[in-house]
Amino acid sequence: MAGSQDTATGSRTIGGGETDWRTRVETFSKSDFVRSFPYWFVPFSLVGMGVYGGIGWNTVISLTDYEGFDRPDYTNLDFSMYAQALSDPWVYLTAKNTLVLLIAFTTITLVLGLLLSILLDRGIRYKEKIQTIYLLPMALSFVVTAQFWLWMYNVNNGLVNAVVGVFGLGPFNWIGNPDLVLGAVIFALIWQYSGYAMVVFLAGLQAIPDDQFEAAHIDGAGVFKTYWRVIIPQLKSSSVSAAVVLMVFALKAFTFLYAMFGQYRVPKATDILATLMVREAFMLQHWAYAAAIGTILLVMALAVVAPYLWYQYGQGSL
Amino acid sequence: MASLSLVDATKEFDGDGGGIVAVDHLDLDIQDGEFLVLVGPSGCGKSTTLRMVAGLESPTSGEIAIDEEVIHDQTPQERDIAMVFQSYALYPHMTVRRNMAFGLEESTDQSADEIDERVTEVAETLDIGELLDRKPGALSGGQQQRVALGRAIVRDPKVFLLDEPLSNLDAKLRAEMRTELQRLQEELGVTTVYVTHDQTEAMTMSDRIAILDGGKLQQVGTPMQCYHEPANLFVAGFIGEPSMNFFDVSLDGRTLVSEEFEYTLSEETVTEVEASTDLVLGIRPEDVEIAAESGEENQFRAVVDVVEPHGNENAVHLHFAEGDGRTFTVTIGGMRRLDGGQTVGVRFPENAIHLFDAETGETVRNRVFEEVEQVEQLGTSSAAR
Repeated sequence: MAGSQDTATGSRTIGGGETDWRTRVETFSKSDFVRSFPYWFVPFSLVGMGVYGGIGWNTVISLTDYEGFDRPDYTNLDFSMYAQALSDPWVYLTAKNTLVLLIAFTTITLVLGLLLSILLDRGIRYKEKIQTIYLLPMALSFVVTAQFWLWMYNVNNGLVNAVVGVFGLGPFNWIGNPDLVLGAVIFALIWQYSGYAMVVFLAGLQAIPDDQFEAAHIDGAGVFKTYWRVIIPQLKSSSVSAAVVLMVFALKAFTFLYAMFGQYRVPKATDILATLMVREAFMLQHWAYAAAIGTILLVMALAVVAPYLWYQYGQGSL
Repeated sequence: MASLSLVDATKEFDGDGGGIVAVDHLDLDIQDGEFLVLVGPSGCGKSTTLRMVAGLESPTSGEIAIDEEVIHDQTPQERDIAMVFQSYALYPHMTVRRNMAFGLEESTDQSADEIDERVTEVAETLDIGELLDRKPGALSGGQQQRVALGRAIVRDPKVFLLDEPLSNLDAKLRAEMRTELQRLQEELGVTTVYVTHDQTEAMTMSDRIAILDGGKLQQVGTPMQCYHEPANLFVAGFIGEPSMNFFDVSLDGRTLVSEEFEYTLSEETVTEVEASTDLVLGIRPEDVEIAAESGEENQFRAVVDVVEPHGNENAVHLHFAEGDGRTFTVTIGGMRRLDGGQTVGVRFPENAIHLFDAETGETVRNRVFEEVEQVEQLGTSSAAR
């Protein structure tokens, strides 16, 4: 519409540049871009400042040598903090722990959530109530569940040791033993999030019509093959969305660890990049160094999410 | 190739306050290579019957057998059947090739090459060869329908089950697929059970029709038998479009008396129907004769309400000039013109009327149904001369 108007006015006012210019402004002011401006600009600028502005500023600080309580000096920007981080064994250790937590927590939670949802979908009675029971931990604050699991893991009178004691094992020092503590933390996080994964998968399963099961049944596939070859592949988008949410939670597990151990310095075996970053920043006032670690964490998170974004893009849903 | 039989098959579902009988003591024999259409209104138990044969429901009692071998306690895999679903139920994440191969992979020991060869071969006959590497989401409704058929044909089953396979297609495509399905079934010669609520599909496609209502079998017969010699009032009303006209009448001597007309029967007919006095008179729309009033016996006055032209014929809705103005439908040739409000004479030829027992609905007397006239084959008739 706009194009045809342009040509019409163009041919009418050869040499009349001013009229042409006015029509253009008028057309522009009536375009979708301008008219929708008040609606998209506010959220766009808020997100832009809050998220991308924050990321940008953080990146700039990571390029300075900002420390202590002075003002940052922006005149001399270099990558010295990244060089320092890459030669710091502690960064490698925490990065490794972060990855272990990320992969173990996400995978196990997804598999567990899938199994639970399949069991529920197969028509266990009192489905609604069971669903609520599993989803309930998700509604609890990290602070509550962390404290709660700290008691559960208590060496002397914790419930976990009481249970394994029945089988003649333990007692184990779940929190004190560096070989066990990361596993114990991962288990607690899985407990909290498997219900969430279950609900996401359950929604996906219930969107699959019954005739898919019936067709597979008629085609001669058993229960296991039906799920493996027909049903689970159709849960791809559910698993993608659940996985992304879980991974983001895993990366920010700082809250849980901080609540569990009550201090910035957590046991070495559970030290992740997020705890290291907070410790460097708020305990030691190494602002620039902490910002550099934050950027590394962001890159890791992007590396994790990128394949999924790529997949979504490939599916045409992005 | 196989015969299928249901003996006394019953299916009850648990419902609020007792069981709901979906299929009630159904006896049905389907011969080798036969195309049987199960037809009835929704909730008549036709789909449940099909699902029992497929193994998706197990009968509460009774027996289902393929080739004399009882199958109702077997898994679908052991039964050697294939089914086409109303919604097609194609696996959305698999290509057409994988969709068609899935059943063979899961139920046979054939090698991947053999399976692939078979899939390609069937795809060619269905004219979907070039779609093999697409996913169902990228196909039109008609193409998906063909893939669903292909998925069933590829397994070369003993019995082919189709559950309203054409109901999601538009009218034109449906008519095409009707013809194509019939052709395919004849080529393959597979025993087929086809479920539909559409009496047109039942009439046009089947070797025999089985009509169900309320879980009970009403009649099994060829389309012509069901149309011209319905076993009861339900079948008479269900088969045929527009449906048969019914009038409540009572027999008084030789006369059928209704609120709108009195109809005199011949001696022979009276002896056939004497047993009952409360009757329902039925006559097909095409059997009613419309003419100018002549005052002859069994001709009544009626007023035209609406005329629906179909091109080849006109469906005329009329009501009797007397009584409370009950309406009925008559079809006449497309070239005969009637106008709304016009008064005409209608006559019910005695050899075309059906009489049903008003209480039981059973047929008391069917129309006179002569043998179907065979159109002579051109070649042979000229050769005979």
